[in-house]
Amino acid sequence: MKALFNTGRTSAQGQGLEAKAQPEYMEATSICMMNPVDLMDLELEEGERVLVRGPAGEVILTAVQNEGVPRGTVYVPMGPYANAVIDAGTHATGMPDYKSCIVDLEPTDDEVKRPAELMEAIGGLAYEGDTE
Amino acid sequence: MIHEDMICPFCGCLCDDLVIETEGTEVVRVDNACTLGSHKLMNAGKHRLKAPIMRDSGRWRDATYEEAIEYTAGILLDADRPLLYGWSSTQGEAQGAGVSMAELLGGVIDSTTSVCHGPSILAIQEVGHPGCTLGQVKNRADLIVYWGCNPTEAHPRHMSRYTTYADGYFLENAFRDRKLIIVDVRKTETGSIADEFIQVKPGGDYAVLSALRAIVRGREDVVPPTVAGVTKEQLLRVAALCKEAKFGALFFGVGLTMSPGKYKNVRNAIELVDELNRYTKFTLTPLRGHYNVYGSNEVFTWMTGYPYAVDFSRQIAFYNPGETTAVDILARKECDAALIVASDPGAHFPKKCLEHLTDIPTVLIDPMHTMTTPLVRCQIPTAVTGMDAAGTAYRMDGVPIHVKKFLDLGYPSDTEIITKIFEKVTEVRHP
Ligand code: SF4
Repeated sequence: MKALFNTGRTSAQGQGLEAKAQPEYMEATSICMMNPVDLMDLELEEGERVLVRGPAGEVILTAVQNEGVPRGTVYVPMGPYANAVIDAGTHATGMPDYKSCIVDLEPTDDEVKRPAELMEAIGGLAYEGDTE
Repeated sequence: MIHEDMICPFCGCLCDDLVIETEGTEVVRVDNACTLGSHKLMNAGKHRLKAPIMRDSGRWRDATYEEAIEYTAGILLDADRPLLYGWSSTQGEAQGAGVSMAELLGGVIDSTTSVCHGPSILAIQEVGHPGCTLGQVKNRADLIVYWGCNPTEAHPRHMSRYTTYADGYFLENAFRDRKLIIVDVRKTETGSIADEFIQVKPGGDYAVLSALRAIVRGREDVVPPTVAGVTKEQLLRVAALCKEAKFGALFFGVGLTMSPGKYKNVRNAIELVDELNRYTKFTLTPLRGHYNVYGSNEVFTWMTGYPYAVDFSRQIAFYNPGETTAVDILARKECDAALIVASDPGAHFPKKCLEHLTDIPTVLIDPMHTMTTPLVRCQIPTAVTGMDAAGTAYRMDGVPIHVKKFLDLGYPSDTEIITKIFEKVTEVRHP
């Protein structure tokens, strides 16, 4: 299923900002809010995983039902998960298309990756020193 | 110990009425702040990096401040095109030192503005900014519009301190006397309390703004029955509400700046406000996210003439968003060293940009372990401004506020660290 990919703030994402190594931040940013009808079309239950494929790559997210999200669009809190699929082009404005890329959605059984795994996949080195 | 009238260093509201209770070096209670602010203040002491860290043959090791500062100055001096990025969650004083250093290095300095309200600034440069202070809004505005933003989640006290729920000097019953219009692509909690909730089809903001402008101009005849999913009846109602208001205040968020049309959307919003000013008083304010991202625009502008994305490689300040902005520079793999200060591109930049950050020597100055930490070669922890460091920050309406310090955890401030790096750079470039 194709959908318009929208990103933005949520208060849970905002609360996680100061402690991104903690599980709350991962939970807050790895969700994909979808209209209940779209969720049904994909034969997904809330809490199951969805593979989102965008212009820059793919990422696995947890599907969350949200009546406010119009059909044909998904809302993902800003963060490393959303950015895994967004292209870096800015059309000469400096601003990437955080709110207007088209993605493909399909159900998956794979697990959501940890933020550190996402960073390692692009050449980073996880720092585990201060995770309590 | 109780600290009164403290400033919240989280979002652009910069609430200045916090009461913070500390016991020793711990924050035990925060009153008046919203969930975002109190979460930050309650936790920012706990998740600090203890000392600088450096990456050494595939592992992290602790380092001293001297070593980390030396290393940072070294990679910046060695680079042909260093990028100095971030500057939103730090003091104006640190931002100033950053600009001086970028100039001396012939590098590029950009703030997180380029991925939040950069487009708003581009629009303001085209058609001006009909702004005012939040105090004016609080005391006078009888109509509030929130367009493409969600203050309930991102600026939780904006409505209670300055708009819908705030008592105003010229309003008898502020809550009843103020009308609220919300424009968004999805129905959020903020939308459910509005007098008018306008649900725009994604990407349709420009068309809706144009339709409203036409109506305000007296040309409703050119407006079709629906515009980007919004009915003409609703548009007529909303335009009438705006014209009837004594003082209207439009706030907008990244829903306008990040959507198709980007700065042209904001330009259209400013021109709508301009149109409305033929009938009544109307103002417009971007809802700024980080508590001092506005400050980075102010400081960069006094020092260089440009608000963000300033490139010194030509020995003069050069500004061209889309070319000299951080995302573009990283996507083109153009910079050969990066200093990231008080921001987290690891969480907020497209993946392609991060890949380049991992390929070049990158240093992060940030109190906490963030998403950027795994991508850098060295991280230098500093004090949190508004907690264990004082400094200047600019509220979203451009009012500078002295952010106070109420704890001492022994960390140096961003200004101290950047000044030390700058001194090392100066020794080599201007002995
Ligand atoms: S609204 Fe913003 S500044 Fe005010 S308490 Fe909340 S996070 Fe802090």
